[in-house]
Amino acid sequence: MAASMRAPRLEVLPSRPQTLWGWPAVLNFVLGGLGSGWYIVAVLAAGLERSPGVTAASWAAPFLVLGGFATVAGEAGRPLRGPWVLRRLWTSWMSRELLIGIAFVLLIVAELVFPLRLHRAQALVAATLLALAQGFILRAARGIPAWNVPIMPGLFLSSALLSGAGAYLLVESVAGRPPAPGVVVPVLGLVVIGFLAWIWYLRGSREFAFVQSVAPLRQWRSALVSEAGGHGLPVLLGLVALAAPAAAAPVLALAGALLIAGQAHAKAGLVRAAGRLRPITLAISLPGRRAS
Amino acid sequence: MTRWGMAIDLHRCVGCQTCTIACKQEHGLPPGTAWRFVADCEVGEYPDVRRLFLPLQCMHCADPPCVPVCPTGASRQREDGIVWIHYDACVGCGYCAMACPYQARHFVAHPAGYFEQPTPSEAAQARPGRHGVMTKCTFCKERVDDGLARGLRPGVDADATPMCAVACIAGAIVFGDLDDASSTVARLAADPRAQALLPECGTDPRVYYLGD
Repeated sequence: MAASMRAPRLEVLPSRPQTLWGWPAVLNFVLGGLGSGWYIVAVLAAGLERSPGVTAASWAAPFLVLGGFATVAGEAGRPLRGPWVLRRLWTSWMSRELLIGIAFVLLIVAELVFPLRLHRAQALVAATLLALAQGFILRAARGIPAWNVPIMPGLFLSSALLSGAGAYLLVESVAGRPPAPGVVVPVLGLVVIGFLAWIWYLRGSREFAFVQSVAPLRQWRSALVSEAGGHGLPVLLGLVALAAPAAAAPVLALAGALLIAGQAHAKAGLVRAAGRLRPITLAISLPGRRAS
Repeated sequence: MTRWGMAIDLHRCVGCQTCTIACKQEHGLPPGTAWRFVADCEVGEYPDVRRLFLPLQCMHCADPPCVPVCPTGASRQREDGIVWIHYDACVGCGYCAMACPYQARHFVAHPAGYFEQPTPSEAAQARPGRHGVMTKCTFCKERVDDGLARGLRPGVDADATPMCAVACIAGAIVFGDLDDASSTVARLAADPRAQALLPECGTDPRVYYLGD
């Protein structure tokens, strides 16, 4: 491998956008992250106890996760074979994602019927694994340089937590239960960590194919939405809510909406704009010229 | 143990696309789908610019990234190394295409022909089971298997050899058993000039290219 890296590389077939995974795949990742993240944030904010926030997340999360699965199933060439996706649990993250998603939904239903801390804890673990599994799906895609990076599962978990925190802030604030500073401050910390993870991802590799693929995500328009709108502004609004508790509800609701929109934009960018097939390059020397 | 592989001599390839057409004909591939093709590349910088013909196809990797990601088990690898797709088990999710670094997987969404009505040839070769699923080069495993069953030697006897190798007008494509030290393909693969594409992906391809 070292020898091949030293040899001059010729790009013989340029990178081109992948066309098989479109908006349905984006929706699956967005809704899966939103549903799992919302449940995680709500349960952690309530300290594993039952609360109106947990109840709201428990009712919404299954619809979000299953809605994502249903949407992406429609993108497959043979959607009626969907259940067969569970056949390769020991090798395929797509199989694992479906199994974990189903387990997550069943555990939430169990928790709604039998509201035990144990069920909430189990559903919390399943939600975390679901967010990670979606990241591992992209991580295993060796043909897409922008996805095949080690940080991808962590990035998806971070994204799920941010969009989930957004849903939590939005719904709780609209319902007249604006989260207390004890919840808002950790959420702001999450946003900062999420921002750092996103920047780390965008700048973390100097491989040509990766840099070429993520270039659209580094343009100012994308940065304006994902970084300024999806991270910076929510932090600013969170600080305003902490400084002026009387205005907390509308301000936190807006911050929540921005967090959700920012993460949806980031995932859409990852799948659609950065989802480019690996260019075919040659590390070998060319055939020499011959006299004709 | 048999391990099928291919060696392609870039000196010999003239970019005629005969292998492309032979493959399409052999497998009845619809418009817009080619399991193999010859990339016509301009490489280098003035004044050292070259035209390079690079035949591309599934590399039948020893460690194929497309196989473990497949959620239904439709993507499979035989003991002889041939990577193939069991169409009846494929859900058409496209995950294998994302995992393949060689852009070698193809999705055939709908039945389509070159004209409004299918030609007699297209009608004869129609394969409804291949719609809505992923497809790729199979090293013409049916020809290889049928040939072996008839006592022929793949890579030596044309009837047991992949169509691209048979059709190549320049003898640039050589197929055979990499584990048979006496085979031409094994000798070419052992040549110091032989290299695989994208070795950094760690897939250990079974298609070798001979440059200088």
